[in-house]
Amino acid sequence: MEEMAVVDVSEERRRRRRAGDPRLSAAGQEVLARITTGDLAEEFQAALDADVEADPILGGHHHDAA
Amino acid sequence: MIVVDEYLAVRVVGGRWPEGLPDDEDLVLPAARHWRLLQRIHAPGDGQLSELLATLSTTDRDTIRFPHPEVLGVADPRPLLDEAARLAARYGGTGWLTGETLAAGLTYGRALWFGTQRNVGRLLASAADDLGITVHVVT
Repeated sequence: MEEMAVVDVSEERRRRRRAGDPRLSAAGQEVLARITTGDLAEEFQAALDADVEADPILGGHHHDAA
Repeated sequence: MIVVDEYLAVRVVGGRWPEGLPDDEDLVLPAARHWRLLQRIHAPGDGQLSELLATLSTTDRDTIRFPHPEVLGVADPRPLLDEAARLAARYGGTGWLTGETLAAGLTYGRALWFGTQRNVGRLLASAADDLGITVHVVT
């Protein structure tokens, strides 16, 4: 009788989750890194804040800056 | 489900898993926060950020527009909307972004995860504390 390979599904899901989107190119990875943790993080936050200030449905009656 | 902000969502999509972010549950981004990411794609400004995003290929942009379901989910706003409106009214007209984020936090484990303190906001932090929602910041 052949033995069946046991696959840890939860571990495989974790690995895929941590690996990021497989469609993203190396250049795209670099862009996203600059936005969130690199030289463009300040500009990214400013753009997010501007959305809230420009749209009262999104941002409400007052701004919620940290 | 782990509720994350725009920073963590983008980092995870990019394959740069933040230290301290649990990896044993699915991640979910509130729809209002996905909306803000989509504004960067579809309504760019004139700064360096917009110039850089314009260089992304269609496939790369699609990773933000339509996140891979094994990596990041976008919360269906419909089941959260009533609670979001209730919370927005309770805390003084917070708007959809904060109301929905708080509602997602209440629904999914009473926790919210952010990639930077600056993106939390004083009002959200105060309301989360009042509601018993733990706000985590992992950088």
